[in-house]
Amino acid sequence: MKTTSPVLKLIQHVILWFVALIQIFPLVWLVNYSFLKSGDFFGKNILKWPAVFEWKNYNSAFTSGKVPHFMLNSLIITTVTILAAAILSLMLSYALTRMEWKLRKPTMAFILLGMIVPIHSTLLPNFILFDWLHIIDNPLSLILPYIAFSLPISMLIISGFVETIPRSIEESAVIDGSSIYGVIFRILLPITKPAIAAVCIMNFISWWNEFIMANTFLTSEKFKTLPFSIMKFAGQYSSNYGAQFAVMTMIALPTVIIYLMFTEQMSRGITAGAVKG
Amino acid sequence: MHKLLSSRITIFWLVAPSLLLFLVMICLPIAMSGYYGMTNWRGVGSYDFIGLANYSKILFHDEVFWRSLWNALLLLAATLLIQHPIALLFSILVTNAGRFEKFFRTIFFIPAVISIVVTSKMWVSVFHPNFGMLNKLLDGVGLSALKQDWLGDPKLAIWCIIVVVMWQGFGYALLLYYAGLQGIPKDLYEAAELDGAGRVTLYTKVVIPLLTPMVRVAVVIAVTACLKQMETIFLMTNGGPANTTQFVGNYIYKTAFSSSLYGYGNAISVIFVIICLIITVIMNKLFSKDVGEF
Repeated sequence: MKTTSPVLKLIQHVILWFVALIQIFPLVWLVNYSFLKSGDFFGKNILKWPAVFEWKNYNSAFTSGKVPHFMLNSLIITTVTILAAAILSLMLSYALTRMEWKLRKPTMAFILLGMIVPIHSTLLPNFILFDWLHIIDNPLSLILPYIAFSLPISMLIISGFVETIPRSIEESAVIDGSSIYGVIFRILLPITKPAIAAVCIMNFISWWNEFIMANTFLTSEKFKTLPFSIMKFAGQYSSNYGAQFAVMTMIALPTVIIYLMFTEQMSRGITAGAVKG
Repeated sequence: MHKLLSSRITIFWLVAPSLLLFLVMICLPIAMSGYYGMTNWRGVGSYDFIGLANYSKILFHDEVFWRSLWNALLLLAATLLIQHPIALLFSILVTNAGRFEKFFRTIFFIPAVISIVVTSKMWVSVFHPNFGMLNKLLDGVGLSALKQDWLGDPKLAIWCIIVVVMWQGFGYALLLYYAGLQGIPKDLYEAAELDGAGRVTLYTKVVIPLLTPMVRVAVVIAVTACLKQMETIFLMTNGGPANTTQFVGNYIYKTAFSSSLYGYGNAISVIFVIICLIITVIMNKLFSKDVGEF
């Protein structure tokens, strides 16, 4: 490659740093304000080094904001969802890529249509449906639609990966007496791990953050998920800004950490899904 | 092997659980919406069957519905004309950023992984008329005259929403273009250089045309994302002031749960799904031509 002049290089880095700052600044601000006293919010400065770190804000987030309670709910609901979605879409992908049946192609196209349906269009009818099924205010009212809406994209990514795997491995397993289920869970599962990991991470981030269904189908506090906690907290302690910022920081951190840990898998999953879809 | 692979019982057990869930959680609700959309049900009590009255009212007399679609179009225009060119430019800058490549890529994507509840609340505070960062910033640079209640102004609010949505989706668009750039073979760059192409020619004549497939993907994703926009609006303005920032998803929610027009809300849901389907079909038809292999 040609060498670039140092001036151009400098300009490039200045621009990159500037936009990076815009992207990251509100988060810096969030963390910064979570350590301030509520009275400090109305000062002149945009960022303010706290005179004293107000750990009390985090304390009230934990106690009156019940963050651990909501976080546990979120954790249970998302974990069940991503595990079920991964297993189901692996099974489905196998049936749609390897098994031989007449309705294979139409079924695949049909399930992919699910990517077009906006979740908001199912909010009202699902409310009635869940009422009939008596699962309003029950974790199932989130887990079931979450899994259903995860299926199309997860299936797309996993089946794309399965297609690249040579069939000979499966054939020899069958000759050794393995059933189809054995092939899927003992042979294919370990090989497709990268794709499954990507799917799980993407699903984790979208359902951990999902808000509108959680806000609609869960009516009591018992099962509410983490994003809801800030709504509740902001309503009850509307003047305690510091603690609100502490709650928000704690909602944001888990996904950022997961993302930083699995950046590569996630980027690959998103681009694979986008290109195939 | 063939016998095992065409076993109907195995196929059934592999497909049935997913398909059942898909049918009950996604298809059945849409069918139910179709039914309730033909009633004047208010969420409780009895209701009458009123045929297609709701549907024709939405399509021909509902200004808020059309305003919601118009807002989606506005958001789409801003996304395609502002966000995407910047994202494309930045994907090129990031690809050439040497050892900082991964660092920048990671930073730019962070807003996309944070809960919309948090980012929306945060932006509401940024736009806050009293202690918001934006007004403080204007004070700081001596433009105090421009200070205002950003989200309370019917003309400005929609643009504030658009900025927030573009900010949050920037990393996603960048990631797509970045992946597209990675897919272009390195020897093409070298060949262009040997032919004497400068850096600008290299990108405008060689690289960007080769990115066309990825641009299409990004456009399709942008269209659906703009149509489906809801949470940011729900949390920042709830469609206000005076429905100027309304989006279809939020309008459905508001109609059913705040105005108790449950039947009417369902009718909007059905039209919404149909619009999404039609647009997707049209885009697939438009984009089905291929640019060739490389």
